[in-house]
Amino acid sequence: MRRRAMLHALSRWSGLAPLAALAFLFVLPIVWMTTTSFQAGEKMFQLTTEWIPSVWHPENYGNALSRSAFPRFFLNSAIVSASVMLGNVVFCTLAGYGLAKFRFPGDRLLLLVILSTLMLPLEVTLVPTFLVIHKLGWVNSYQGIAGPLLIDAFGVFLMRQFILKIPSDYLEAARIDGAGELRILRSIILPQCKAALAVLALFSFRDSWDQFLWPLVVVSRDEFRTYPLGLVRFGDDYGNPPTEQMAIAVLATLPVFLLFLVLQRALRKGFDLSAFKG
Amino acid sequence: MAFVMPTILFFLVFKYGPMLWAMGLSFTTYDMMKPPRWVGLENYESILRDPIFREALANTLVYIAGSTIFITLVGLGLALAINTRGPGRRACMSAMFLTNIMPILAVCLVWRFLFHPHGLLNQFLGPLGFGRLDWLTDSALAMPAIILVTVWRFAPYFMVVFLAGLLTIPPEYYEAAEIDGANAVRRFRYLTLPLLMPVTFFVVVVAALLSARIFLMPFIITGGGPGNATRVLSMLIYETGFSYMKMGRAAAISVVLFAIVMVLTLAQMRLFMRSEEEYS
Amino acid sequence: MTNASSGPGVSRRQALTRIGALGAGATAVAATRTRGFAQPKAPITLSFWTFDNPQQRPWLHKRVNQYMEKNPNVKVDFQWFTFADLGKKVSVGYATGTAPDGFVTGDWLMPTWLARNLIAPLDVKLLGYPALDAFRKDHADAFVAGAIKDGQAYGYPLWFYGFCNYLNTKQFKEVGLDPVKDQPRTWTELGEVAKRLTIKQGNKFTRQGFKFAMHAAQWTMIQLNPIVSQVGGQWFDASGKCTINNEAGVKAMTIRASIARQYGAEDPADSIATFPLPQMDWLKERCSMFSCHPIPPVAIKSQNPVMESEGYFLPVQMAGVTADKRYTTCYGFNFVVNARAPKDKQEALHDMYRFIMSDLVDCWQATAPFTLARKTGWTDDPRVKSFPHVGEIIKAKDNGVFFPRTPIWTELADAMHRAVQKVMLNNADIKAALDEAAAEVDRATAEFKKA
Repeated sequence: MRRRAMLHALSRWSGLAPLAALAFLFVLPIVWMTTTSFQAGEKMFQLTTEWIPSVWHPENYGNALSRSAFPRFFLNSAIVSASVMLGNVVFCTLAGYGLAKFRFPGDRLLLLVILSTLMLPLEVTLVPTFLVIHKLGWVNSYQGIAGPLLIDAFGVFLMRQFILKIPSDYLEAARIDGAGELRILRSIILPQCKAALAVLALFSFRDSWDQFLWPLVVVSRDEFRTYPLGLVRFGDDYGNPPTEQMAIAVLATLPVFLLFLVLQRALRKGFDLSAFKG
Repeated sequence: MAFVMPTILFFLVFKYGPMLWAMGLSFTTYDMMKPPRWVGLENYESILRDPIFREALANTLVYIAGSTIFITLVGLGLALAINTRGPGRRACMSAMFLTNIMPILAVCLVWRFLFHPHGLLNQFLGPLGFGRLDWLTDSALAMPAIILVTVWRFAPYFMVVFLAGLLTIPPEYYEAAEIDGANAVRRFRYLTLPLLMPVTFFVVVVAALLSARIFLMPFIITGGGPGNATRVLSMLIYETGFSYMKMGRAAAISVVLFAIVMVLTLAQMRLFMRSEEEYS
Repeated sequence: MTNASSGPGVSRRQALTRIGALGAGATAVAATRTRGFAQPKAPITLSFWTFDNPQQRPWLHKRVNQYMEKNPNVKVDFQWFTFADLGKKVSVGYATGTAPDGFVTGDWLMPTWLARNLIAPLDVKLLGYPALDAFRKDHADAFVAGAIKDGQAYGYPLWFYGFCNYLNTKQFKEVGLDPVKDQPRTWTELGEVAKRLTIKQGNKFTRQGFKFAMHAAQWTMIQLNPIVSQVGGQWFDASGKCTINNEAGVKAMTIRASIARQYGAEDPADSIATFPLPQMDWLKERCSMFSCHPIPPVAIKSQNPVMESEGYFLPVQMAGVTADKRYTTCYGFNFVVNARAPKDKQEALHDMYRFIMSDLVDCWQATAPFTLARKTGWTDDPRVKSFPHVGEIIKAKDNGVFFPRTPIWTELADAMHRAVQKVMLNNADIKAALDEAAAEVDRATAEFKKA
């Protein structure tokens, strides 16, 4: 009996080994990025990988941040991405609720029409979108960068699928009790949507955080430049070693990582129940 | 309806307006400096004759197919590996998910170093007898290299999606199958796979959509080269519009790309519906 | 570096500028200059864009700020972009009516703006010249060729430079070569010397003898352009057809490929220049020779302090097919004025441009050794003359051939970049690769004509 238990334990743990190896392979580039950001600049040019720096250079971070206006770039990115996240959470929920729980003529078509924007290549709409932003007087502003990202088609779809599964009986009961729609949304829908909202928050933040082409077109001052624009032009200056570029890359990873940690509990549920099950 | 209004307005102004503008523009010649001039179908005729467009089109299809297939297979494989009982599974999952959280630009910059002829990847493969592989400069390897990064980036996300699908399968099904004497392969073939069909469909469609829009990876990692080896349509659109200032032509290429993605999505839908019917 | 502390220097510099102007024989110039700069009456805001560079942009910015101090009525909205993005931003600007009133452009893009009437003709009188001819004579030929059209000037030049072959003299001595006497004068010599300098370990080059830049289309053109003209080739024939695939073109590309293919002295796939600085391999001593624009000492110092302090580098003229054809590409940057800017803004910009370029020695000190297109006003200054190797650097500029002037510059550069990649990285047939490139360029030309 004890042998069996031991065998069982052994099989449980032995299954972990190949999995851990796989996970390690996946994480390796991230580990490389992180250790490289502490490496001496010269090491990058010797093309032999030293996994653990023999001498640590935390000053890479300070140096990197002092190039261009990186603290400002990060602040700009944070402001824009937080607004985009908020916008998606609010508007996708509203739209998702409307599309899931109300019938109106053309409601299904509307969903398809919204989803079809996902198939459109972004590159060619840059100029017309810029024209819209220009008409609104939003060139070189936070609302200019964030505006076109405030609602994502996929987010609307996600929320609709999720809210669809909340039994309508609850809503009916609440309506009979005289609750208004906004109150229903707040007290019935939202508490049940935490997981989907976590997914939506994480990915809308990340997508906005990743934006490169759009800010490039709409912004022309350091005051509003986001960090990807600084990171791409990082090498233009003499004396910017790649180790410092990696330091910026690590710093750029941190906010999304922190958001991931904060949302992790809710996320786990979100993935159990997310949209595709419907 | 009131709840949907802001969204409708938003999509009209920021998505459909620009989209229709682009579609209209595809029938004009427009260099962004003089007003557009109507030329009918000329842009479409001209791009169809253009060898670079045809190359970019082929590259896009190869890229979509390659990344979609491998993202799906690797994602499913990882999910099955995680979905075993035992310690450390969740930690592994979270670790792998990090590839999804890294900013895409950081991904590109890091992999550009890893792919260097004397970089990390070759240092790993060297002892296995691979010799020197010029990942980004050999025209036969550049596209696989970009696909490799794509799979590395996205497979863990779809792993989580698959995992969610796997968790919805009631354990009793497996218990019953085991009693019936079905081995692991048969259980996978006749139980897991059919029940995962809706999830697989979702993964394939979304992965294909993602790959059709890929831009930054070839743009930053290879610049479309060597030659045209990694020049995909989205890159060609950007170059045609912003480097060559041929917005009408760029719009025509976008319409073609839009049509391809649409057809692909519809075809996948049909295919999956049919296979779902067969399974049930 | 405040104005107060360098007071005497400033006056001396201004005096020298005037002497320079007189030296050009243009008394009228001096006369207009003494009159001082015109003061716009009503308050005015000018938008002005330029490219980013660690020396050039800060100097321009400083001059613009000084101009604003002198002219409280003028406010300048100064913005900058990466080298690659500036042209795109300006194009989007024209498309949306948000283009700047004035901007700095690469002179290779002049035909792009000119063909569409986007930039305004300049009034050379407002720039301090009595007539176009004096303006023409005061500037390098490379600039004149690109900026003057139909008897009117459209650009006011800043920096123009040629390329030098930068040698690592320590490595030369290591293999028993004298950097001065044995400097390669022809492409054959360059191949032989590069081969001697190369160190290989298996399939890994520890040191490459000579290296061509592989990372960007612009550099491909810079380095290929002189070879094409050295072998008597031309980019276009009189009818505008691309002729890079003729015999001369094949010969030029064969020379371009010979360092790797024939002499085994470079590895085109191996570069640490994953950054936009192709000279990185040379700075890090992974290659012994590199053809480069003037490299500021501060750049060498930041990447390789020992090389800078011990001074074991030497810029010499680039090799030619024959020793008397040792020239490279010369290109540069112009101030231009948006044709759609209102008249008063156009005039104010002239005034600002003239002010910026009225102290060329200050410019040289801030951005050396980037040479200027202006022939006078700086070369005689002792602070310029004492700069290490300045003679070779100015000579490279004066001997340089220009880029092909074409409104489809970007298409041409991209097509050639692809051809070079195919030849160098994928061992493609040279003639076939050039045929493809020429066909691509001809298609672009046909489309441009249609539009």
